[in-house]
Amino acid sequence: MRLLLVEDYRPVRESLTKGLREAGFAVDATGDGEEGLWFARGNDYDVIVLDLMLPGLDGLSILKKLRAEGRQNHVLILTAKDALDDRVTGLDSGADDYLVKPFAFQELLARVRALVRRSYRTKNPLLEVQDLRIDLTVQRVWRGPEEIVLTPREYALLEYLAMRAGQVVSRTDIWEHVYEFNSSASSNVVDVYIGYVRKKIDRPDRPSLIDTIRGRGYTLGAEP
Amino acid sequence: MTSLRTRLLAGTTGGMLLLLAVLSLIVYGTIRRALFEQFDAGLEATAHLFAASIEQDTNEVELGLDLEQMPEFRDTKHETYYQLWGADEIVVGKSSSLNSTMLWRIPDGVGSPAFANSRGAGDRPLRAIGLRFVPRASDSEERLPPRADLPTMSLTVARDATELHGQLRFLRWLLLTATTAVTAVSFLIATIVVRHGLVPLNAMAAQIGAIRADDLTTRINAQHTPAEIAPIRDRLNDLLSRLQASFQRERRFTADVAHELRTPLAGIRSTIEVTLTRARDRQEYQAVLSDCLEIVQNMQAMVSNLLMLARLDTRQMVFRQDRIALADLVDTCWQPFAERALQRQIAFESHVPGDLTCLCDPDNLAMAVSNLLANACEYTNDGGRIWVAAHAAGGHVELTISNTGCSLHREQIPQVFDCFWRGDSSRKDAGVHCGLGLALVQKLITALGGSVTAELQPGGVFVVRTSLGGSSTSLP
Repeated sequence: MRLLLVEDYRPVRESLTKGLREAGFAVDATGDGEEGLWFARGNDYDVIVLDLMLPGLDGLSILKKLRAEGRQNHVLILTAKDALDDRVTGLDSGADDYLVKPFAFQELLARVRALVRRSYRTKNPLLEVQDLRIDLTVQRVWRGPEEIVLTPREYALLEYLAMRAGQVVSRTDIWEHVYEFNSSASSNVVDVYIGYVRKKIDRPDRPSLIDTIRGRGYTLGAEP
Repeated sequence: MTSLRTRLLAGTTGGMLLLLAVLSLIVYGTIRRALFEQFDAGLEATAHLFAASIEQDTNEVELGLDLEQMPEFRDTKHETYYQLWGADEIVVGKSSSLNSTMLWRIPDGVGSPAFANSRGAGDRPLRAIGLRFVPRASDSEERLPPRADLPTMSLTVARDATELHGQLRFLRWLLLTATTAVTAVSFLIATIVVRHGLVPLNAMAAQIGAIRADDLTTRINAQHTPAEIAPIRDRLNDLLSRLQASFQRERRFTADVAHELRTPLAGIRSTIEVTLTRARDRQEYQAVLSDCLEIVQNMQAMVSNLLMLARLDTRQMVFRQDRIALADLVDTCWQPFAERALQRQIAFESHVPGDLTCLCDPDNLAMAVSNLLANACEYTNDGGRIWVAAHAAGGHVELTISNTGCSLHREQIPQVFDCFWRGDSSRKDAGVHCGLGLALVQKLITALGGSVTAELQPGGVFVVRTSLGGSSTSLP
C-alpha cells in the first residue's frame, strides 16, 4: 500500500517513514505543504498522513483542496493541538481520522491499516482468496496449512492484489500502490515481482492463482 | 471600617440638629428680647408716671397721685412695688405691700433708667427699674433735668416677672421639644433615604460577588446605576475586560507551550518506538540515540527560555551594572555560530568600535546578543551576510544586527517578537526553533532598560535595532 506522509518535524517524519516502510508500506514523505499537495495530486495514495502545522501550506488547506478536487484518499491527521475545536475542524474538513501528538507508533500503524481496509471496503483483517490466507495485521501469508515467506515488496504486491481480488489490476495501479515516488523501478519490475510471487504461492500441479490478462494487467483468484 | 450609611446618617442628623439649635437660639433670643422690651417699656412708663407725680416743696416730698390706686399697683398678677429715696438716700416712701421688705436702690447714671432682676417675697422673680430724677417743685409745672446742684431722688419700681419667666420657660420647652422631635423625625427619614439610596451599591456588590474566577465574561449590569456609581461600575467592567484578556493570553500561552512540547515529545516517542519494533545494529541505535539527544537538548533550551520569560515577567531577576566592551561581547557571542556559518558560506562582519562600551548586565546582554545572532544565522540564506554595527548616540548605544535572506513580509515584522510566532519558512526545521528567541530578547532588553525594534529593509534585509543605556567610548 502506498502512503503519503506530510510532516515538517524531521524526527517524526524520518522515524515514521522508516517504521511505515518496515511495516510494508511504500512511503513518500515531505516536510513542506506545497510539495505535499503536489505529491497528493500526482499519485493515488491509499492513505495520506497529514500534519496540520506545515510551512508553505497548512494541513487543513491541503485537505480542503484535495476534497474540493474530488479526491477520495483516506486522510489521517496528525496534530499537536488537541482542543476539541481543532479535532472537529479536522474531521469536518474531510479527514477520516486524527491522532494527537505524541502518539504510539503501533496505534498509528493500526489506524493506517484500518484506513487501507476501508479503501478496499474490507473490514476483516484476514483476507482469504481460495485457500490463500493473508493476515493483514501481522503480514503473514498461508496457502492451505503452509505458511509462505515473502519479502516485504512481494508481500506488498500480493496484499494489493488480494485487496482487489477478482478485479483486473493494471501494472500502473500496482506500480503506483506498491512503489515509492522516487524509486527507480519501472512498471517492468512489476512483471518480475509477479513472477517471484507466483513462484512462492503457486503449486506446481495447479493453475496459477494470479492470472495475466493480456494488455490489461493481472487478477488474483479469478474463478476459472 | 467606616460605614457610608453611618456617615450619611450622622452627617444629616447632626447637621439638622445644629441647624435647629442655632435657629432655636436665635428665635429664643429674639422673643426674649421682645418680651423684655415690652415688659421694660411698661415698667418704665410706670416709673416715669410715678416720678412725674412727685412734687417737692422745699423739704417735703409729696406724692401727687394715690399711687396705690394706680392699676399697675393693683394688678395682683403683675404685682408692682416701688421704693423712693430722698436726696440723702433716705427712704422717703415705699409700697405698703412690701411690708418689711426693702427694694434696693439701683445705682445708675442720672437721667437714663437702669434695669435689674431680683427676687422678691416667696422667691418670686422681680424685674426692677431704677430712676434718678429731680422732683418737680410744687410751684413749677416743669421738671428740670437732673443737675449736680439740684437735689435728686432715686426711685425703684419693681414688678413681678413670674409670667414673663413662665413664658420664656414655655418657649424654651417648646423649642427644645421641637428641635428634638424634628431631629428624631429627620433621623428616621434619613435612615430610610440612605437605605434606599444605598440599594444600588448593595445590588452592585451582589453582582460583583457573583462573578466567578473561572468566568470573567460576566459584566456588572448597567441598568439603574446612579451617576455616582456609574464610574465605579465602568472602571470595574474595564478591569474585568483587562483581566479576561490577560487570562486568555495566559491560556493561549499555556496551550502554545503544550503544543510546542508535544511536537518534540512525538519525535522522541516515534523514533524510539520505531527503533524498538525490531532488532537493529549498533550504528542504528547510536544514530537514534544521538537524534533523541538532539531533540532533548532543544527541548531543554526551550524550557530554559520559558523559565527565563517567566522570571522576566514576574521581575524576579537581579541585574548587575558592569561596563562592557561591546566589540568583545559580540565576538564572543559569535563564536558558537562561526563554524556553521562557514559551512553555509555566510559572511559575518562586526563593525563595533573597539572602544565603545555600555553599562549593562554582561551575562544577560550576552544572552540577548547570542539569541539575535542565532536568529540571524538561522534565517540568513546560504552564502548570505550577517553584520553587526554599533555607535553611541545621546548617552545610549545603538546596536544593530542585520542579515540577508529574510523572507518575511513587511506586515509580519511586528509579530516577530511574539512568543511562538514563526515565519512560515522558518518551520522547515520545525521543533528546533520554537519561536521564543526574539520574544526573550525583547523582554530581556526591556528589563535591562533598553529597547528593541525590528525592521525589513529592501532586498530581504532583516534588521534588529537595540538601544542600550550608559554609553561611553573610552574604556576604563
